[in-house]
Amino acid sequence: MPDELTPVPGEARAGTESGLVGAQIEPNHSVPPVAGAPKPHPILVVDELTRSFGGLRAVDVDHLEVERGVVTALIGPNGAGKTTLFNLLTGFDRADTGRWSFDGQPVSSPSPDQLARQGMIRTFQLTKSLAKLTVLDNVLLGAPGQAGERLSAAPFRSRWRDQEEANVELADELLDRFNLAHMRDELAGTLSGGQRKLLEVARALMADPVMIMLDEPMAGVNPALAQSLMRHITQLAFEGLTVVFIEHAMDVVTGISDWVVVLAQGRVIAEGPPWKVIHDHQVIDAYLGRRRAGGGS
Amino acid sequence: MDFDIIFGNAARAAFGPEAVILALAAIGLNVHFGFTGLLNFGQVGFLLLGAYGTSVSVATFGWSLWVGILVGLVLSVALAVALGFPTLRLHAVMFAIVTIAAAEIIRILIGSTDAIGLTGGPLSVSFDAGAFYDLNPYPDGPHDRYGVGTFEFTGQQMWVITVGWVLVALVSLVVFLIVRSPWGRVLKSIREDEDAARSLGKNVFSYKMQALIIGGVIGGLGGVIDAIKTSGADPNGFRPQVTFFAYTALLLGGAATYMGPVLGAILFWFLREWIESFLRQLTAEAWLPDAVADFLSGSEGVISVAMVGLTLVLLMLFRPQGITGNRIEMQLDAR
Repeated sequence: MPDELTPVPGEARAGTESGLVGAQIEPNHSVPPVAGAPKPHPILVVDELTRSFGGLRAVDVDHLEVERGVVTALIGPNGAGKTTLFNLLTGFDRADTGRWSFDGQPVSSPSPDQLARQGMIRTFQLTKSLAKLTVLDNVLLGAPGQAGERLSAAPFRSRWRDQEEANVELADELLDRFNLAHMRDELAGTLSGGQRKLLEVARALMADPVMIMLDEPMAGVNPALAQSLMRHITQLAFEGLTVVFIEHAMDVVTGISDWVVVLAQGRVIAEGPPWKVIHDHQVIDAYLGRRRAGGGS
Repeated sequence: MDFDIIFGNAARAAFGPEAVILALAAIGLNVHFGFTGLLNFGQVGFLLLGAYGTSVSVATFGWSLWVGILVGLVLSVALAVALGFPTLRLHAVMFAIVTIAAAEIIRILIGSTDAIGLTGGPLSVSFDAGAFYDLNPYPDGPHDRYGVGTFEFTGQQMWVITVGWVLVALVSLVVFLIVRSPWGRVLKSIREDEDAARSLGKNVFSYKMQALIIGGVIGGLGGVIDAIKTSGADPNGFRPQVTFFAYTALLLGGAATYMGPVLGAILFWFLREWIESFLRQLTAEAWLPDAVADFLSGSEGVISVAMVGLTLVLLMLFRPQGITGNRIEMQLDAR
């Protein structure tokens, strides 16, 4: 599949609707903005995925494709099933039915660590910073393929020192970019909520992901920092990373995403470029309530 | 009241073989609980298998002591694997329940009358640890004593504790080397949040199993020392409180530190023996009312354990991180 990895040639995106720099690729010029639309270079293809909790069908996705190398936002009102969908795709929850493939490989028995090693790295809505590890160690944990993580090599520092030093350098760069450099040697438990969010994103990036899935990365982060966080993420997409993030504030989404998928009651009800989706009457209904349900309001 | 004798007793206990055994049990527990967050309440099961593996190999099967020691350690690994496979995927509390139950089941089986032919059952088992004492470099005449004043050991005791503390030092060094590595970082991340470790591609089950085996074997080593020290094993020596004493030592010294379990074990035995000796001397004092003397006499051991418990309570209140722990780290739990 090397041909799949090459970036999509496309028109440069000058003067886009987004205020921030987006991906240079306009991947969706040929993609119709309808739910379940096929994409030219999908990295993730989901079919007939369902998950019920008791009588509630939390996720019920017939077909969904995520395009490689772009920023896709997953939006929807509270309880739409966004996080559940994330949990299913990353192996943290078991689907009732359905199949999906990631990076050309069908995911047969999803296990979180295996998917992560394949490059599907996620963050959590409720941050999982490792409180009693230093901020630096938190980030270092993300580094993939560490020789020193094997017990047979662990006692012999010479076997992993060079790699560790390279990782520390990389981690320091990430901490610097996320304004956490001054907290480097502090325990992560002493960070504020917003800083923990940033730490989690830095840690996820340290894992060298092919696709990064961020669950509400901007919740609780102060606006200036959130801006720089998203600038950083769009920059990564520019360099070829696929980004999927959950958000429920629609205004945030329009600024930074190339493509928006709208989830309501577990189903994909609409998708398309942000400026189109936010005017979609189905989407407005999903957020504000259906007219007929509200009696014409 | 002779404080010289009290101090001598306490110091002998603090550096004697019992402290070595407790230190090894606590170091193993530190790998489980301190670094990986595994709530192992059956650490005594590993000591039991170490001790019985050694004793039964020599006494029942007539193998050499060195083979026996190996058998004891292999049995510890086997217990770790047997415990880990079904339970490591479960919630931490389930794991705690299974470990305490497993240790008790093994103790009861080994001590049952049906097992007399194999393990000696309730009669305990004894063997000739001569192969170990043959290597003793300390002259061991009836008048040879090592130490100062009332703090002294016989030549045989000296040999056991020398080997014992060297072993404690080596094991501590190995634990230090593996835990300060990226491998140890993964262990700690599992302790803090398993799902975070998983989301970064770490095979949590495999790491937990490795930690369980390593800590179990270290506990098994404690059992081996116990078997050599007493030239045998008795099922009553492996009751659940051994695990709790190991937890006490670990928390006294400071969990998730490198020296904590060792310092904790020394302090545990020092305090316990000091209090017991003190009470014994006290009951002999003429000025004590008869009722108090009667109450104390014969229960010095029990009271001293209770006092150690009280010390632990006070420690948790005023220095919850233990002697060597980091207070700030501790307070993060209270978020």
